[in-house]
Amino acid sequence: MRTTQRGLSSALKAVLLAGAGLCIASAAQAADPMVKACAKDGQFIIGFSQANNAEPYRQHVNDELTAAAKEVPGFTLQIADGAGNVNTQTSQVDNFITQKVDILLISPFEAAPLTPAVKRAMDAGIPVIELDRKTVGDPGKDYTAFIGGDNFKIAEEAGKFTASKLLPDGGEAAVLEGLPSSTPAVERLNGFKEGVKANPKIQIVAEQAADWVPDKAQTAFSAMLQAHPDIKVLYASNDMMAAGALLAAKGAGKDVKIIGTDGLPGPAGGIEAVAKGDWAATFTYPTGAKEAIEMSKKILLDCATSVEPTVTVDTTAITAENAKALAGK
Amino acid sequence: MSDQKIEGTANPAVPGRRTATAAPKHRVDPLAIIVRFQSLIGLVLVAIGGVIFSPRRHGEILFLNPDNIANIVRAVSETGIIAIGMTFVIITAGIDLSVGAVLGLSAVVTATMMISGGFGLIATILAVLVMGTVFGIVQGTISTRFRLEPFIVTLAGLQAARGLALVVSGNQYINISYGDGPGLAPPVFAVLGERLFDNTVPVATIVFIIFAAIATLVLNTTRFGRYVYAVGGNERAARISGVPVSMVKISVYAITGFASALAGIVHAGQFNFGSANDGMGYELTAIAAVVIGGTSLFGGAGSMVGTVAGTIMLGALANILQLNNITPAMQLLATAAIIVLAAVLQSLVRRREGLGR
Repeated sequence: MRTTQRGLSSALKAVLLAGAGLCIASAAQAADPMVKACAKDGQFIIGFSQANNAEPYRQHVNDELTAAAKEVPGFTLQIADGAGNVNTQTSQVDNFITQKVDILLISPFEAAPLTPAVKRAMDAGIPVIELDRKTVGDPGKDYTAFIGGDNFKIAEEAGKFTASKLLPDGGEAAVLEGLPSSTPAVERLNGFKEGVKANPKIQIVAEQAADWVPDKAQTAFSAMLQAHPDIKVLYASNDMMAAGALLAAKGAGKDVKIIGTDGLPGPAGGIEAVAKGDWAATFTYPTGAKEAIEMSKKILLDCATSVEPTVTVDTTAITAENAKALAGK
Repeated sequence: MSDQKIEGTANPAVPGRRTATAAPKHRVDPLAIIVRFQSLIGLVLVAIGGVIFSPRRHGEILFLNPDNIANIVRAVSETGIIAIGMTFVIITAGIDLSVGAVLGLSAVVTATMMISGGFGLIATILAVLVMGTVFGIVQGTISTRFRLEPFIVTLAGLQAARGLALVVSGNQYINISYGDGPGLAPPVFAVLGERLFDNTVPVATIVFIIFAAIATLVLNTTRFGRYVYAVGGNERAARISGVPVSMVKISVYAITGFASALAGIVHAGQFNFGSANDGMGYELTAIAAVVIGGTSLFGGAGSMVGTVAGTIMLGALANILQLNNITPAMQLLATAAIIVLAAVLQSLVRRREGLGR
């Protein structure tokens, strides 16, 4: 109801302005900045609705966003933790709308549940940049833009890498899935399976869910190795599970080629593990944090009239060849 | 809150607070009054704090913005519905850990029935409510029949419900799309995510309020309500005085099962979605709300209004902390402090009443 009132009052204003002899050409509308309050030296609040801080990857996104936002004078970043709960995350987005943040960044925990909240933000005139996960609809229309990687493609890359480089002569492979029935878990599982199809001599002999966490991964992979002692390659849907799987392989005295996903930095991250030779590879899942802050600058400081609706950040394969160089960064 | 005598044991020390144990004192204990209304007092304090510490924009206090209030009461609706059921169970000195998992199972079954099952809205809702109720009846029956701790039985129930949810959903999440025809849900179902009365009151909250009102009536005015207090206060005495103890116990688990299923339906309608992971951890939020509301885990005493106030208070607290950009860590620590405070107050009163626990 409020929106129609706003519509009415702005319509009135437009009529009054026109009456005052100020003819506003409708063509000028297209060139309006996306945010009217944009200014080179303005103070802006960016609200980031994070899906779940408990996941190390997401903490890594928070760190990168915080660092990127610090670089910009006038940007204040607020991060809300949805704690892996669509209800909590929805209410946090609503809080940001109440606060009238200047830009909403969001990594929705799940797509469909967060769609109405994103629509409310857009209706309130707040540009919405979706990071890493999408809500339902089209970027540029239902929300401002999407920045992120493609889970299915990244896992498919890992599958192709397995088919051509790790097991060219075929053999047994296994998969550790994330939290069953969560979007990224399903996409990564399906992507990897699609990728290994390139080599019909590879059989996937076991798939187990380990809910993204290392301890469950260790347990699950130990059991897999008991049942299938000839597993040559393990695809773990994230770095944490790959770390757990390594412990299981060592415990069983097996030399299994392990592939992680995310390519987290730092001493406990996947890049380091590949550099040390513990894993065969990990495929980075880029955060898109820098790109998101860049886009926010365009909208808020440069008064952009439009932005690229989809920015796909490509995965990098971290293998024995490049891991050492990247780990040193 | 009526102050009726039940089995001649209304507690004169605490006006309106019904307990099943006679209090030896006849003077009014101010501490007991505080405990009686602790969650309401807490809610008022949080609201005052919210106003004081609320960020302002163009002079408007954001905390009191109607959209913000609507957001607070919407966000607590699901856990609130569950906490209402949980209040019955905890008054009988029981516990139900399966509620969050049953919410997830119900959301999944709701989505599956309408999307791939081709069932109508009414049939789906009835089936899910019956399923939740039966789930509770089974847990209550196992617990009473085999004299097992409800903690253990419902812990198994939690695992069973999550497992069933994964089986039903085939390890996938199920989106609910609306329209007319097979594989689509009737658009009216999406109303659960909307607001009524000129876009002010969230429908989820309306469900919560209606359910709370019915539950309050049942607990405070019916014979069954008196039985619930009697069983929790002193099971043996209740049995001797002719209260159908097993029946009452099975019934309260049926109520939590029903409440969890109702919350699951609200969840599916609010978020157009069903996933086996929905409602994870809700059991603990609900127990927290009940305890803050002044219901004792030892059973025999408690109030529904307290639970509702406790639920909204936790939501308001989370809201004001986020409006001020205070970290989630502080939110958890603040909640922890409030739970401990509520429990300590209760234990002091019990000691004064000479209950020794």
